[in-house]
Amino acid sequence: MRKVNNVAIAAVSTVALGAGAWLLHGAGVTHAPPQPTAAEGLPDASGHQLSAPALPPSPPTRIRIPVIRVDAPLMGLGLTPSGSLDVPPAADKNLAGWYERGTTPGETGTAIIAGHVDNTEGPAVFYHLGALKKGHTIEVDRRDGSVAVFTVDAVEVYQAKNFPDQKVYGAASRPELRVITCGGGYSKATGYQGNVVVFAHLTGHRPL
Amino acid sequence: MRRTVCPTAGAVTGAALAVAAAVGLAAPAHGADGGPAAVRLPRAEAGAVTGTLDVYPSSVVPGGQVSVNTKACGEKGVAAGDASAVGAGQFPLAPSAHEGEAIGQFRVPESAQPGTYEIVAQCAEGGRRAKGDLVVTLTAAQHDRVQPHGSVKTGVGGALGTDPVRTAAGVAALAVAAAGGTWLLHRRARGDGI
Repeated sequence: MRKVNNVAIAAVSTVALGAGAWLLHGAGVTHAPPQPTAAEGLPDASGHQLSAPALPPSPPTRIRIPVIRVDAPLMGLGLTPSGSLDVPPAADKNLAGWYERGTTPGETGTAIIAGHVDNTEGPAVFYHLGALKKGHTIEVDRRDGSVAVFTVDAVEVYQAKNFPDQKVYGAASRPELRVITCGGGYSKATGYQGNVVVFAHLTGHRPL
Repeated sequence: MRRTVCPTAGAVTGAALAVAAAVGLAAPAHGADGGPAAVRLPRAEAGAVTGTLDVYPSSVVPGGQVSVNTKACGEKGVAAGDASAVGAGQFPLAPSAHEGEAIGQFRVPESAQPGTYEIVAQCAEGGRRAKGDLVVTLTAAQHDRVQPHGSVKTGVGGALGTDPVRTAAGVAALAVAAAGGTWLLHRRARGDGI
C-alpha cells in the first residue's frame, strides 16, 4: 500500500513539475498580437489597379474594420517634435487617430490612420490589425455623411530602424489609406520593434 | 492620463506625462494648414441669428473642392449655400447622417484669386444663417504637405504581460511538485524505501 502511495506521489510530483514549468514559461507569450505573413506583402512591381473615383475632401470621424471587429472614433493627429506621427492617448483603448495635416480618407493621395496595438492594461483598438488579409474591407465614416470604403492591398511589418517612409507616407495618384499600429517583435528592453502597416485603396463609397 | 510609447516598454516617466498633457491640450486645435475652420462671426445681421459654418479645407487652391457643414439649421435642416464671393455661385446644403448637420459641397473656380472669402448658408426655416471663411491660396498647400517619417509608437507590450492566472497556476503546480519531492526524500532518508 505504501509502495502504491509512493509511486502515486512521485507521479503527481513529476506531472506538477512539468505543468508548472510549462505554465510559467508560456505565461509571457500567450497574448502576442497577430503578425502578417509574407503572403500578405506588397507585390514587387506595384501594378496600380484602378480605384473608385476620388471623393471630395472631408475629415474622417470613425473607422470600422468589420472582420476584426474594429469600430472606433478618430481624433486628429499631428507630428511629434522629431517629425514622426503622433499617437492618440494610450489610456483610451478604443480610439484611433488620423493625420489631419495630410490627405482625408477618400481624397486622392495617401491618408494615414494610426492606433495602439495595446496599452498597459492589455489589447487596444488595433490589436488584431496584423490578422487582416488582402481583400478585406475598411470603412471610414466622414464628416460629409459619406462612408469611404477601402479594400486591403497588403499588410506589411517594418522594423523601426529601417522604416520605408516613402512607401508608407509617400504621395499616391489614387485615393489610398494606410492603417498603422505597433508590431514586428517585442523585447522588454526596447518594446515593439516596428509597425504593422495596412495598405488599402478606395473601392467605393456609400451614405452613412 | 497614462500615455505610453512603444519603444520604452512601459517606462512611463514624468516627461511622458508632461508631453501627454501638452498634446492633450493641443489636440483640439484645428485650423492651421487646411484643418477645419470654425469661424464664429460675432456680428449678427439685423433679424438673423448667425451660426457657424465649418469650411473644409479652410485653405484651398483654385479648382479645389470644398465641403461645408453646419448645425445652425437643426436636425434635418436644409439650407441654401452661397459661395458667390469666391465665384462658385449657389449650392444646396442637405441633411446628413453625421450629427444632424446640413452639408454641402462646391468647387472653387480655376479663375479664383487668392484671398479670404465669406461663405454663407441660409437655413430654409427659422431665418438662421451660418457663415465661415475660406482662404484661397496659389501655393498648393494641400498637396505639398509635410509627411510624417519613421515608425509610430503605438504600443507598450501591455498585451504581452504575464497572465496572472497562468502565473499563479504555474506557481501552485511547482509547489505541489516540491511538496511531493520533499515527502519522498524524507521517506528515503528514513529508510522506508520507495
